[in-house]
Parts: sequence; C-alpha cells; structure tokens
Amino acid sequence: MRSIRSGISVYTLGLPVLLVVVLGLAIPSFLAPQNLANVSGQITALLIVTLGQMVVALVAGIDLSVGSVISLASCLVATQADPLTGVALALLLGLAVGLVNGAGVALAGIHPLIMTLSTMTFLQGLAFLILPIPGGQIPPSLRELANGTLWGLPQPLLWCALCAGAVALLLHRTRLGLHLFAVGANAHSAQLNGVRTAGVVIAAYAVCSLLAVVSGIYLAARVAAGDPSMGAAFGLESVTAVALGGVQLTGGVGSIVGAITGALSLGLITNGINLFGVSPFLRGAFTGALLLVAVCVQRRRSVGL
Amino acid sequence: MSDDGAARLPRSERPPPIELRSMCKAFGPVVALRDVSLVGQAGSVHAITGENGAGKSTLMKLLAGVHAPDAGELRIDGRVVHLHSPAAARRAGISTVFQELTVLPNLTVAENLLLGREPTHLGWLGRGAMQAEARAVLARIGIELDPQRACGALSIGEQQMVEIAKGVSTDASVFIFDEPTAPLNRAEVDKLEALIGALKAQGKLIFYISHRLDEIFRLCDTVTVLKDGEWVATEPVSALSADTLITLMVGRPLQALFPPRAATPPGEAALDVRRLTPVAGDASASLLLRRGEIVGLGGLEGQGQREIMRALAGVLKAADCDIVRSARDARSAPFDPREGAVRVVQQGIGLIPEDRKLEGLYMDLSIADNIGLGVLRGLGLMRRARRDRALLERIAAQLQLRARDLSQDAGELSGGNQQKVMVGRWLAAGVDTLLIEQPTRGVDVGAKAEIYGLLREFVAQGGAVLVLSSDLLELIGLCDRILMVRGGRIVGDVPAASASEEALLALALADEPVAAKAAAI
Repeated sequence: MRSIRSGISVYTLGLPVLLVVVLGLAIPSFLAPQNLANVSGQITALLIVTLGQMVVALVAGIDLSVGSVISLASCLVATQADPLTGVALALLLGLAVGLVNGAGVALAGIHPLIMTLSTMTFLQGLAFLILPIPGGQIPPSLRELANGTLWGLPQPLLWCALCAGAVALLLHRTRLGLHLFAVGANAHSAQLNGVRTAGVVIAAYAVCSLLAVVSGIYLAARVAAGDPSMGAAFGLESVTAVALGGVQLTGGVGSIVGAITGALSLGLITNGINLFGVSPFLRGAFTGALLLVAVCVQRRRSVGL
Repeated sequence: MSDDGAARLPRSERPPPIELRSMCKAFGPVVALRDVSLVGQAGSVHAITGENGAGKSTLMKLLAGVHAPDAGELRIDGRVVHLHSPAAARRAGISTVFQELTVLPNLTVAENLLLGREPTHLGWLGRGAMQAEARAVLARIGIELDPQRACGALSIGEQQMVEIAKGVSTDASVFIFDEPTAPLNRAEVDKLEALIGALKAQGKLIFYISHRLDEIFRLCDTVTVLKDGEWVATEPVSALSADTLITLMVGRPLQALFPPRAATPPGEAALDVRRLTPVAGDASASLLLRRGEIVGLGGLEGQGQREIMRALAGVLKAADCDIVRSARDARSAPFDPREGAVRVVQQGIGLIPEDRKLEGLYMDLSIADNIGLGVLRGLGLMRRARRDRALLERIAAQLQLRARDLSQDAGELSGGNQQKVMVGRWLAAGVDTLLIEQPTRGVDVGAKAEIYGLLREFVAQGGAVLVLSSDLLELIGLCDRILMVRGGRIVGDVPAASASEEALLALALADEPVAAKAAAI
C-alpha cells in the first residue's frame, strides 16, 4: 500500500543484496576490509547526489547540472586558502544554482532537461576557468573529514548517514516534504489545495544542488584536490541510481531507501567490474543494460493507476 | 455611525458575504462569462445551474481564486477583494470542493484532508496532530476511513467523500460545491446533504453547482440560472417548478428528456454473455444484449457492474468467460475480450469510459483527430485522414456538436460535447455495439437529451448499447431493460417501461428487509 508513494519493490531491495552475495562469492577480495572501505568511499559521493536527484524526481524534474556543480564545488574548495571560505562559497553557489534551475523550470516554464543542461554547460565552463587542471590545496582538517574514522567507523559512512537523515527528515517531517509528493503527483490539484507549487519546485532544485555541493566537497576532501571534470559522470549516474531505486521520473513516487539501494547497486556494479578486471568501457554497456532490465522488471505504475 | 457600524446592523442590512458585480472572463476568443452579477446571502444554499458552457464552473473558479476576472468586482462582506490564488481564496474564507477530484493518490487520507493547511511548527509537520485532526473530521462527517490509507487505493466515491470532507472541514464562511454528487452513491449523497444542511444552520453561505434538478429542489433556497456565460435569472427555488427551471436553463420549452423507446421488439443477439467472471474467485454474471435495444446495468457502487463492463471491453482482463458475439450479418463466433481492447474494437465493440479525460479523449487534439481515430484504426501507415473529411463532417452534423469548428481542441469543449465526440469516434469506426459508462456524467440537461437521442438512433439502426449508470432515473428513462447487479451477479432483469426507482433500489439492496433498508437510504 505504501509503495504507491515509495516505489519500493522486491527488486529495488533485492538488487544490492544480490550483488553483494554474487560479488562476495565470486571474488574473495571483495569482502576484504580494504576493498569495502574503498567501495563505501566511492558510493558515498554518488549516494549524496542521488538523494538530491531523488528530491527533484519527486516533483517530476531532472537535474543534469549536479555533475558540474560537484566539479565547480571541488575547484572552489581547492583554490581557497581558508577551507571555511571555500565551503561557504561552494554552498552559496549551490543555493544560487538551485534557485536559478528551479526558477527556470517553475516560473519560466523551461523544460527541466534544457534548463539544467544549460546550467550544466555553463558551470562546467566556470570550473575549467577557475582550475584548468586538477590540483589545488585541500587542508588536512578537511581531508581527515573524508578519509579518517570516527568512533571506529569510516567517515564516509557518517556523511551518508547525515545526508540521508537530513533528507528523510525533510521528506517525512516537514510541510515541504509533503508538498513535494503532492506537487509531483499532480501540480494542478496541489495548487487548488493551496500549495504554492512554484516555491516547492524551486526548493526541490535548491536541495538537489546543495547536496551536489556537499558531494563535491566530500570528493575534493577525499582525493585531496580539486578537479574541473571530477563530477562529469555524476549527472547521468545519479539519474540511473534514482531509476534503479524505484523512483518514478514522472513524479510523486520515491523514497530514501530507494535512493540508497539505487546508489548502492550502481556502486557495487562499478566495483565488481573493476575487481573482475573487465575493461572499464564495458562497465558503461553493462550499466545501461542493467538499468533497462531493472526498470522493466519493476512494475511501473504512474500515480493514480 | 461608527466605523464598525456594519457589524451591528440587523442581519438583513449587513453586507452580503458574497457579492459579484459585472464579472467578465474570457479565455482567448471564447467569452466564458459576460457581465454576471450575483449576491449570496448567509445561511442559504444558492444553486448555480445552467447548460454546458453556461459559465457555472468559471464563475465559481473566480470565487475560488483559480482564475482572475477580466473585469468586475468581488465583494466579501462588503469589501472589494482580489483573489490571486486558491490559497488566497481560502484565507478569505472561501472553501471549494472542485468538480475534478483534487485528491492526490500518493498521499494518505489524513494528508489529503489537511493539505495546504497542515498543522506545522516552523515548517515541521505535526504528524500526530494531523492524524488526530483527520480522525476527528472523518468522525464528525461520518465516514469510516483509515486516515493512514493511501487515497490511490480508495474507490472514486470514497475519494470524492475525502474531497468533500476536506472542503467542509475548512473554517470558512462560504462553501462552494461544484457537481459534488456525480460519483457518489445514495448513502453518500445523503451524508453530503446532511453536511450542507448543517453548514446552512451555522449561517454559512453555500454555492451548489448542479445539473440535477431533484438536488436543486431538495437542497437549495435560491437558484441562479446562467446561459452562454450570461445571467438569466435568480429566483427563490420555492417559486419555481421543474418545468419553469428547465425552460430557464435551456431557453426553450422542455422537450421530453428521453427519446421514445423502440416500437419494434429487439432483434438478434449482439453479445451473448453466457458466463463472465471479471475477477478470479468472484461471482460470474451472464447477460444477453440484442440489436435494437439499450440495456442498463445498475446497482449500488462497487457491486461489480463496473468490472463486468470493463471485462467486456477488454480493459480489465477477465478471469474466465464464455461469450458468443454475433456480427451484423448474423454470423456468430466465440468472443474473448481477454485478447485485449484492440481486438475488442476490431470486433465492432466500442467503450465510452467514465473518465473521458484519462481514458477517452485526447484533450490536446482536435475534434477531427479525436473522431478520426476511429476511422484510422487498422489502416495502413500512409492513409491520410483528409479523405475522411466528408465522413467527419457528416458525423459532426449528426452529433449536433457545439464547437467553433472541427479543428477545436477536445479539451476546450464542455462535458456534453466531449461525450458526443466519443460517440462520434465509434460512429466513425462503424462499431455496432457500444459499452458506455455514466453516459451523462458532467453533462447538462440540454446535451443529455441529445446524447440519449444519439444512443436511441444508434440502436434503431441495428446497434446495441450496454449502459452503466449510477442514476436510476436515467436507466429507467433511457433503457429498454435494466439489469441490476449485486455482488457481481445479475439479480434482476427488469423491463424499463415498468420499472420504478423503489423496485430497482430494492433489487440493488437485498431481497429480505427491503422496506427497512430502502427507508433507511
């Protein structure tokens, strides 16, 4: 019954479990602590973006600009002498990008694909302008935040938990969260009920961009450098993860659990391919095929049917 | 006199809660309202009625903040007000139950009830308070629904009751109901009428938009009639008879709403449904539909009549069936709707669904395209619709469509004209058996008679029609025979000529304590 809203099915939950079992059995080194730490480090960045992408998908949108936001955020942090200034600048940037994306979609009526494609291209250019080649300085304090451990747990896990917890609170404990689902199911009906739909859509894009910034900061801290093409793959990967997680791109259906399982599945596939020693080019082909299969097996339903 | 003198005036001299002055509204070139003025008094139920496209819904949408008027002014309690949004109208004390369901399927009953006015603290939802408030609202109104249930899992009638509960539970002084009873069964209609009575007793102003004369006479104190976007009359209901009201609405004397039944007995069978089990494990139904007759399917909501219809149309995949289909040339063959809706249509059976917007018409396509779909079916890729222009023109004339021309979008048409376009599509396709759900839902009196006439003409030319309707009077007036459905079974086969509402209702309910239950309804 609740799956009318969450989109969670046996497949969304089963896929990551299946992948862990298969990888664990087939490749002994998969379960080695070193590899697990490596995988969770990789998945963290994807998961944080995916959470944002899911929020935008809830209002039937799509945000392709997250990749460029990640890159630009990493460059900003890496080129500022003071890490706090860098982080603050990056967050401000994320807020601005989200507001522009949201306003373009909700107020100017531009299709989300075109709107975020424009900002994606624009921001990518800016990133190369600020930092033409990977490099820059990341202070040790920031690096520690992404690579160390806290209370015996790897730090990346903390980033995941904080972001997922924050988005969960947003979705289920705030009025905005309820309105995201309402607008995604039927914007017109929501408006007739007094929901300010434009504001809700703008907020969704802002949340998404802010999470992309967080992901960018995390990545910069993790690799101890800024990189103008660091996030390039994340735009489409986050959309893939969202779809794998049972989130409907037509709006109104999605969940935190879906975003997590989606990102987890995609990250595990990447890791598995690496461990198998298969050509990284095949990874793309494999992911594409898997996405198609996963979306086909999941019983697709638009809201209301 | 002091500034707040108005509040101390005797009631009759207080400014009315709602006053509309010379309201005008046009959508592009189409004028929806022209110079309409209206006064609504507190403690009264004010009906707004009129034919399709008369402007009733537009007028109410101006009050509900959905549209802004082009000219004219709205006064609430004597003060001029501009409503920019539905939220603004709500803040101004106007609560609306819209004609289209605005219940969101992915939200729970409680969330839907309180959407837009959630109990919050600095943006944080009070989930507990929401549950409690929803429970209280449902209890007060007498609806037994779990507030935690997702609305998408409810029946249309239940969703409409949620919609009504949402409107009624708002702390407002003006309530608007736009055709609220269409998807409701009798028990639910009674609940609604009790609610409206209670609101009236509290001194609220209620605007009630309806085509249904019986509702206007039973519920309302005053009636305003609109026609073609203009004000025709505002009268106390007690001063009117049904005939005079219809004359005001239609602008011409009342012709018989229903066409005469066929004088000749029905012909060969078109569909012989020997056994049909729509849902595995449920009851099976059997029925016979002959050429030249209109057969009605009636019953209380959710008794399985809709499933029978949908299974026959191939929309719902039946669990089991044994059906013989006879074509116009009297050749018979087994017919299995489980092969899918496309095969069903190819065998000359067309469905006109209840939800025209979702399942019937392409609202963004022209009338010509919507009708032409019937002709294009099954033809080669290169076939162009142009050749069929003459056919389309002929059908449009037969339908008595009220539209600018055939290139007008179906979405711009009134409910009655949309329904005619649906009929036209199947006429163009040369279908000889029509399955039609709620043929006149959201259709005004004038267009109703025309649609009934179209269906009668269709069977007179050798077609057969199976009608599903929740309006017993419609079934009695339109059909030749009425099949009453209860628990998925056909429990009665009544000639419409001798049917009465009471007898049909008794069949719909149960055999034994008929009188008691009928009295309770």
